[in-house]
Amino acid sequence: MLRALIIAWKELLQLRRDRLTLAMMSALPIIQLLLFGYAINTDVRHIPTVFYDQDESAESRDLAQSLLATGFYDDAGHVRSYADVERALRSSEARVALVVPPHYASDLTRGRSAQVQLVVDGSDPQIVASATNTASALVAARSSSLLALKLAKGGTIAGAQPLSLEPNTWYNPDLRTAVFIVPGIVGVILTMTMVMLTAMAIARERERGTLEQLIVSPVRKLQLIIGKILPYIAIGYVQMTLILVTGRVVFDVPIVGSLPLLYGLAFLFIAANLALGLFFSSLAKTQQQAMQMSFFFLLPNILLSGFMFPFEAMPKPAQWLSQVLPLTHFLRIIRGIVLKGSRFGDLQTELVWLSAIVVGIVMLTSRRFTKKIV
Amino acid sequence: MSAAAAATSLAPDDDAVIVTEHLSKRFHDLVAVKDVSLHVRRGEIFGVLGPNGAGKSTTIRMLCGILDPSGGRGTVVGFDIMRDAERIKERIGYMTQRFSLYEDLTVVENLQFYAGIYGVPLKQRRARVEAVLESTGLSGRRRQLAGTLSGGWKQRVALASATIHQPPLLFLDEPTAGVDPVSRRDFWEQIHQLASKGTTVLLTTHYMDEAERCHRLAFIFGGELLDVGTPDEIVERRSLSVAELDVERATEAATVLRADSRVEEVAHYGHTLRVATRDGTDATALSSEVLGAAGIAIHSGRRVRVTVEDAFVSMVRKHGEAR
Repeated sequence: MLRALIIAWKELLQLRRDRLTLAMMSALPIIQLLLFGYAINTDVRHIPTVFYDQDESAESRDLAQSLLATGFYDDAGHVRSYADVERALRSSEARVALVVPPHYASDLTRGRSAQVQLVVDGSDPQIVASATNTASALVAARSSSLLALKLAKGGTIAGAQPLSLEPNTWYNPDLRTAVFIVPGIVGVILTMTMVMLTAMAIARERERGTLEQLIVSPVRKLQLIIGKILPYIAIGYVQMTLILVTGRVVFDVPIVGSLPLLYGLAFLFIAANLALGLFFSSLAKTQQQAMQMSFFFLLPNILLSGFMFPFEAMPKPAQWLSQVLPLTHFLRIIRGIVLKGSRFGDLQTELVWLSAIVVGIVMLTSRRFTKKIV
Repeated sequence: MSAAAAATSLAPDDDAVIVTEHLSKRFHDLVAVKDVSLHVRRGEIFGVLGPNGAGKSTTIRMLCGILDPSGGRGTVVGFDIMRDAERIKERIGYMTQRFSLYEDLTVVENLQFYAGIYGVPLKQRRARVEAVLESTGLSGRRRQLAGTLSGGWKQRVALASATIHQPPLLFLDEPTAGVDPVSRRDFWEQIHQLASKGTTVLLTTHYMDEAERCHRLAFIFGGELLDVGTPDEIVERRSLSVAELDVERATEAATVLRADSRVEEVAHYGHTLRVATRDGTDATALSSEVLGAAGIAIHSGRRVRVTVEDAFVSMVRKHGEAR
């Protein structure tokens, strides 16, 4: 362990001398943050939706069915309380909840106006627009046909609409993109710097011949790896803090959930990226190769993880692929905690995925990274 | 020195630091090292010579415990190279061809790092670093970044790093490549000082003048050990005779001499030719005979000392032809 610390100390000394990398590590998060302040809007289909049907009538089921028939909503099950709605949204099981009030059917038949509620997870503004617009259009159409029916029965048009939708956006009511983007940036920056820095740190030793010098020394494989990654874990946390603070100050992004939970779970994510960086470095002969591999890895992360395009908007094969990217799961964790106040229990699926990915990469890496001979 | 005491108690009749028996290494179907049996004694400066790709580095790597042999066995500083590789690593110093230093660390930081890696106790670390700074003359450059040092100074830092933990055995892989003659001379003084204090040094080199500064030499060619002995022994065993000739039309004279089967080697040294012959044939006499027949006049000719370089070239030529 002492030897690992000595390597870590050396690594920090080298970092201190490498002004460019140091500047890059602190400036990059902020520049990216400002650049990605604006997001791309896409049509989102297949939004997971839960139904809180307090009426449980033929009419309410019909409304739910027609909502699903639009193709914009996917059935994510029924819930029995607002607390369940909240839980489903917090754990990202669902993005949307349709709440049908009690007496919905009887109100409609008696000609009284009824109001259904659409709760939308606003942490991803791209989803909100699609989700709300479709449901509003659907409800308005139903309302008109009800009105026509009423007229045909000899009623008057006076009074309120027979059916209306009350959209209700949770977690990011102002639909500000920044609120959505800031936690995403944390994930992207961590992926970029963690993978690249570790990959290059080992490749540099190989390139300069110092790895050979370390291999003939009594330093063990594990000591070398731990000593190498320890400083970068610290850097990862500094970057994360930097982005969250900037997001708070510049973009006014609130942090709803528990910070200790976020920092705790971030460890898994950082570990996954560092292990991946080590894996790349075991393949790369030069720093340049290590850098290229890191960039090659970064691209699918940005495109598929849900950082830029909503997960729900991607075709199925892309969704499967994105499941093996650590960033996909970390984005759900950090957006959940920062924007929705997700608790440990809400994030278990992501936790299992991340742990499995870490174990997988570490196993792969320790097989590749043999200390015997360069 | 505790290491010295341990060595004597281990084997009172024989203070061997490196012993190998039929050491071999195959990489797939390429035989890199074949049947190498070595015996290096304590305090010896042992030079390993051989052309590029002869198997020198592979041999050293097996001795350091970072490459498993395919056959044979060996002990280094009393430990088996297969089973106790990690214990060997703690007791050896190793200097790579490229003076592998951290160029973005200062001289002192490099030394502190290696002191830590080799487990020099924290309390002694400062004193050890100061001692090697002193002995290598680096005190004045302690705060300088290693990357900004010239070749000779880098070499000193590399040697200081490799000896920071006072290893009983030091491996130097082409330690003087790219270093100016004065620095090389200083370097060799230091090597001899270390050896006189009981450190065993095993080194590889391509410089034949350096080979002559070793106590004993081993010739490796094509993965095989061709000869082991003191520089004098090795030269004698070749039974060469060498003459330096001052001739007219030197290039033509060289062609004529090379055409004669009794001539081992002809080389240009400025205006003079260096002619070597084998098996007791006198080089001066043979040259005047051969050149006289060709009508080329010899202004002057004298027999000169046979060097390790002559022996080396002769050996490589002979075995190269045999292949």
